[in-house]
This record gives sequence, structure tokens and C-alpha cells, in this order.
Amino acid sequence: MNRTTRIMFGLLMLAFSSAGFAGADDKCLTCHESIGGKAVDLFKRDVHHAKGISCAGCHGGNAQSDDMEKAMDPKAGYIGVPKGDDISRVCAKCHGDSGRMKQYSSHLPTNQIENLRASVHGKLSTNGKERIVQCTTCHDAHGIVPVKNPGSPVYPLNIVKKCTQCHANAALMRTYNPSLPVDQLDKYRTSVHGMRNAKGDAKVAECASCHGSHDILSVKDTKSSVYPTNIPSTCAHCHSKAEYMKEYKIPTDQFDKFSRSVHGVALLQKHDLGAPACNSCHGNHAATPPGVQSVSKVCGTCHALNADLFSSSPHKKAFDDRKLPECETCHGNHEIIVATNKLLGVTSEAVCSRCHNESQNVKGFATAKAMRGLIDSLESREKRAIALVNEAEQKGMEISEAKYKLRDAHQARLESRTMVHSFNEARFQDVVNKGIVVSASVSEEATQALDEYVFRRVGLGLATLAITVLAISLYVYIRRLERHQAMGGK
Amino acid sequence: MNTFWSRLYSWADERVKLGGLVEYMGKKYVPVNRHSIWYYFGGVSLFLFIIQVVTGILLLLYYKSGELLAFESIQFIMAKVRFGWLIRSLHSWTANLFVLTAMIHMFSVFFGKAYRKPRGITWITGMVMFFLALGFGFSGYLLPWNELAFFATKVGTDIAGAVPIVGKPMMVFLRGGEDVTGATLSRFFGFHVALLPGIFTVFLGIHLLLVQRQGMSEPLSHGDSPDTERKTMPFFPNFLLRDMLFWLMVLNLLAILAVFFPWELGKKADAFASAPAGIKPEWYFLFMFQTLKYIPGKILFIDGEVLGILVFGLAGFLWLMVPFWDRKSSRGETNRLINYVGIFVVFYMIILTIVGWIV
Repeated sequence: MNRTTRIMFGLLMLAFSSAGFAGADDKCLTCHESIGGKAVDLFKRDVHHAKGISCAGCHGGNAQSDDMEKAMDPKAGYIGVPKGDDISRVCAKCHGDSGRMKQYSSHLPTNQIENLRASVHGKLSTNGKERIVQCTTCHDAHGIVPVKNPGSPVYPLNIVKKCTQCHANAALMRTYNPSLPVDQLDKYRTSVHGMRNAKGDAKVAECASCHGSHDILSVKDTKSSVYPTNIPSTCAHCHSKAEYMKEYKIPTDQFDKFSRSVHGVALLQKHDLGAPACNSCHGNHAATPPGVQSVSKVCGTCHALNADLFSSSPHKKAFDDRKLPECETCHGNHEIIVATNKLLGVTSEAVCSRCHNESQNVKGFATAKAMRGLIDSLESREKRAIALVNEAEQKGMEISEAKYKLRDAHQARLESRTMVHSFNEARFQDVVNKGIVVSASVSEEATQALDEYVFRRVGLGLATLAITVLAISLYVYIRRLERHQAMGGK
Repeated sequence: MNTFWSRLYSWADERVKLGGLVEYMGKKYVPVNRHSIWYYFGGVSLFLFIIQVVTGILLLLYYKSGELLAFESIQFIMAKVRFGWLIRSLHSWTANLFVLTAMIHMFSVFFGKAYRKPRGITWITGMVMFFLALGFGFSGYLLPWNELAFFATKVGTDIAGAVPIVGKPMMVFLRGGEDVTGATLSRFFGFHVALLPGIFTVFLGIHLLLVQRQGMSEPLSHGDSPDTERKTMPFFPNFLLRDMLFWLMVLNLLAILAVFFPWELGKKADAFASAPAGIKPEWYFLFMFQTLKYIPGKILFIDGEVLGILVFGLAGFLWLMVPFWDRKSSRGETNRLINYVGIFVVFYMIILTIVGWIV
């Protein structure tokens, strides 16, 4: 430090002191205030400053010395502006130390740094030297305020902007994960969550609500809160809380219903990742309830044949005219149960009977009744064929060919269930007949095998009888022969 | 009727001179003693071998070798061919009973010291046939090309491959390559229906000829009795008729087994599938398999499995050569060591087989 600088620095210190800017001992701030700059302005609003932490808390050095050389002497621990992973390391000095955090009366968790390191952002960046994200990437460096403070960049209303600084930047994201979409923000703004968030509702879901904050994991990670099997409970975190959802006036029993549904059982109990989670029907970033018109399109993404058949069926126009949601009208939404034959027909349990009865919509009534009769017939014939095959197999008969054919009967029954959605009796009957013919053929083969089983035992009985008679005759002959020989005969 | 048989005999006698043979047969006698029951096991083994040949030939009419067709052809035999299930079950059950009766026959000869001079070659031919019978079992087991057979063959040939020096080339020869594939199946089929029967027939011919020439051996303890006190029965027709009575009972037992316990086919072999749990060889290999499992991985500097195979090989060789090292029995003296060795072998085989079956 040359002489002129020293004089200027001395004058500045004097000026700051006289203005009462400097804290009791924070000479760093005193000097840097005189130099000016955004960092100092921001730091004065910083929660750390409010707690009495000086610049040296992060940058090191001697905050009590007004001699710049002494204050910024590396021997005094001065590290300058931390770079790369050193940034998070500096933060973790306090935020990873519960003792220190207690000194500042903070109840913040002290595992953020571990969570960050284990998170998808904790992986090494493309240069292989530092992690993708440091604490300051989201929280900024100077001017850090509590998360609940609307001025915080990670406040619910601001966090979307913060995340999309990177996640909407195609050029940047390409360097880390080229296949990751960058349209999340656009989608989010079309969602119910996004629209409410834009209007200032801090309660609705934003990025961190679903993905987490420090512990964000890849969607492919089974521990991720957005892994398919975890999505329902992640959504239920808000949507099942009656008190929390009260002002939105929507039901809060979706999760319970979904858990009981055929989809929920498949996903949550059988861990079938092909089964839909909440986002499969509602979308994820663009989450919104599907409209009446689009229900069949949503279901049709998986149940394509059913959707196609329904679209070309007479029901399509009838449903559209009455503004009835297509699949949902018969199958429900969150609590879709296994579709059994009972849904079809004209009994009180059948969904057809809600609109069709003997005096109203009579043609449909007759069709529903006939279709139910056909599918019941197929099912009972298939059951009989299975029972006969099992019995024959249990009795040790070789029946693998007939057993293999049973697949065709089962397939026909599945096809018939799909064909129900055509609501066309003739087409339905064609498919059912295929199954009935196969079931009859299997039953016949199994019956033949069972007859053969009886035949074998009867045959064995007769053979045993013949052999026994022969053996006894032989024994008698030998005795007679030996008696004859003993008497000296030839 | 008698006239018909007499004329037929005369007709044959004029052409092939049956007189000598009939005279010889008429003079052939079988000793009668408290161990006579064991004499029947040679005959019943022959009877079972004949059933094997007949049922084997019938199976050949429909069996198709090759990894694509073998399993399906057996399935076809079991399900579609009239009495195919019976023929296949008889063939499989007979194979097992054949090994069992041959084993009983072998031990009865061993304990009765019937291998002693002048029957050394008869013993050797019998033992060779016994080893060939095991070869029949091992090669035939793979032919249905099912899961169990596939992996049992893999394990079996792996063990053969562990033999020092000749093991690896022998394994490659048996498998027709490095792994058990369709080539192995073709080879095993060839061994089972051509090579082994050919060799077996030669040894069977020599064995039967020797038995006829030398007659049945008597226990050592009978050697001191004067000829007048020795009880005998004519081979023809007495012994032959009793033999036939036993055969009938065995035939009935086979029919019962075939009907009540038809031989299963299982799943088709899949080289890419993992080996089914608890895979075991046929019961007659089980005592060796179980022993190899108990031997530690390393004994001194030798691989445990290799040592086990060498010990079994040596034991088999000594067993085969017993007529040549048991001099005492050949001299007509009692050799208790042979009895102890025999009892040890029998108990060892039974216990290890049971353990192998249960574990």
C-alpha cells in the first residue's frame, strides 16, 4: 500500500466513523462502504449482518483492524472472494455446525450442505472441478434474507424465476443434461399452480414444493420425491390437508381414493411403474384438471384401443351432447376400480343401467343385456376349461398344449372387454366367439386327458390281473415240475 | 400239439444242429444255497436291458434330436402318440431299475467273492457294462432337452472337465464345444443310441458266454462240502422259469410305476435362464456329487474337487481290479478286508445318497 492510498484510506475511515456507519468492530464494512458498491448495500440488509456477522465471517481476515494490509492478510485467514466449491464450504462452516448456529439463535437444519452434495446439483460440473450449484447460486451472496422473506430469491413467489435462470436456459442446460426439457416455466405458467403463483399466492406448489430444495434428486432416483411411486404422496402433501386446501374449495380425498384404485394399487403396492401417478393425467409442470372434452384423450394415452372404439361408437355423440366426461362417467376418476363384468349389463350394479332401462333408451338396454350374457358365458367356459386343465395336470397328464391354448381364451376375454367400448353387439360377439371356441377345444382336450387317466388305471388293473394269473400259473407249474422231478420223473 | 413241436424241433435240428446245445443246456445246473436269491439279479438286469432296447427303439420312431425339436418331440410322444406316455415312462423307470439291479448284482458278486479265479474276466466285463450303464443314464438324461437335464449335464461335464490333464479335452469332446449346446445333444444322442449299445452288446455277449461256460459261482463256505451234499437245480427249465417269474413281477412293478408316477418332462431347456435351485444329478451319481460338495476348496496345494475326482477314480479302478489284488479269495481263503470294504462302500453310498436327496 503506497502512501497516497494509505492517506485516502485513513480519510475514508474517518469519514465513515463520523457518519456512524461502521458497526462496533466491523472495519471491513466501514472501509468498503466508503468505496461503495452493490455488495455493501446488499450486505447491510443481509440476515447475517443483522446477526452481527462481519464480512470476515465469509471472506476471512481481521475485521477489527483498520489497516487494510493487516485486515486482508492471508495470514489472518483472508481468502478473498471464494470460488467454486469453496463458496459452499465457507457457508458450511456455520451452516453445517449446529453449535455455531445455536450461538446465533438459529433453528435452521445443519444438513443442507450434505443434502446439496448428495443432490443432483451436487454432482461435479462439466469442468470436473466444482459442483454444479453452490449455496449462492440460489440464495445469492450478499443480501441474503430468510426464505420466508418476500425479498428472498427462494421465496415461493420468486423461486420459479430463480430455478429457471438455469432451467430455462437451453444453452446452459445442454452442457449438463441435453435431454432435460427447458420449457418447465412456460408449462408452469399455464398450470393452476403457476397461475395462482403469478397472482401472488405463495401457498401453491412451486418448484421446491415438489422437487425439494437442497436435496433435489433425479426423477429416476427411487428416493426422489418426484419418482413415480412417490408422486402421489408428494402431491398429497398439500392436496390431502383439508385445512390447507380449505380456501381452494376442492376435495382432499384424492390420495385415499387413488390408493384404493386399480392404478393406485398397481403403482403403490405392486410398484408397477407403468401405472399412472397424479402427473400422468394432470400433467406435472402444467398440472391442471383435464377438461370434459379431454378426459378420453388423457385416458387414451394408455388405453388407446378403448378410446378409439369409444370415439367411433354411438356413445360419443350422446356423451358430447350431454357434456358428460367420457371415460369418467362410467369408470370414475381417482377411484377407478378393476373393471369386472359387473359394470356391463342391466343389473343395478351395471353402469349401463344408469341411462338404459326397459322404458328408456331401450335399444341400448337390449345390447347391454346381450353383451353381458356373452361375456359371462365366455368367462364361465374359460373357468371350466381352466379347471379341467388343472385337474388333468394335477393327475400327471401331459396337457401343456391345451394349457398353452388357454392363453388364447384369456386373450379373447381381454379383447372382448376392450370391444365393449364399441357398444356394437355384432363386433363384440365375434371376439367372444373366438374365446368360446378356444375354451371348448381346451375343455375337450382336457376331458380326453382325464378319460385317458381313467383308461390308464383300468388298463393297469387288467394288466396286473393278467400278469398275476400268469405268475401264479408259472409258480404252480414250477412246483408241479419240481415235485415231478423229485419223484424221479423227467 | 406235441407232434407240431417235435416236427419244428426236427426241422431246426436238421439245419442248425440243435442237439449239442440242448444236451449242454440239459447238463447245466445252478447251485442252490441260502444266497441263491442273488443269482436272479443278473437275469433281471438282462431282462430290464431288453426292455430298454425295445422301448428305446420304439421311442426312436418319434424322437427328434436337436435343440429345437427334442423337447417338443418328447412332448408329442407323451401327449399324442398312442401309448407313447407308457413307452417313455417304462424306458425312464427301467433305466433306473436297471442301474439298481445291476448295482445289487455287482455287490452280491463282490460279497460272494464270485469274481475270484476263474471269473476275473466275467467281473471285468460286468463292471465295464455297469460303467456303460451309467453312461447310458448320463447321456439319456439330456435327450429330452429339459431344464433339469440341461443343467445337470452342465454340472456333470464340468466335473469331468476338472480331471487333471485329460479333463478339459474330454469335456470339450463330450460337449462338442465349450458349452452345453445343441451339439452336445447330438453327441449324447449318438452315444446313447449307437456307440454305447454297440460296445455294451459286445461286453454283454462275452459276459453271458463266460457265465454259461463257467456256471454260477458258489459261496466260499460251500467249497469244502462234498459234491454229494451240494444242492443244485437244472438251469433249464427250473432256474429259467423262476427267472421268468421274477421278471413278471418286475414287469408289473414297472407298469405300476409308469401309470402312477409317469416320468415328468419339466420345462424346456433355456441356456440363458438361471439354473433352477437345488439342482441334483440322477440318484446313482448323488453320493459322488454330495461328496464333492463336502470336500474343501483346497486341500494342501490340490484343488478339492480335483482331489475328490482322483480319489473316486482310484477307488473305481481298485474296485474294478479286485479279482487281481484279492489273492486270498482266489486261493479259497476268507478275506474279511473285502467284506469290510464292501460294507463301508454300501453304507457310504446309501448315507451320502440320502443326505444328497434331503439337503
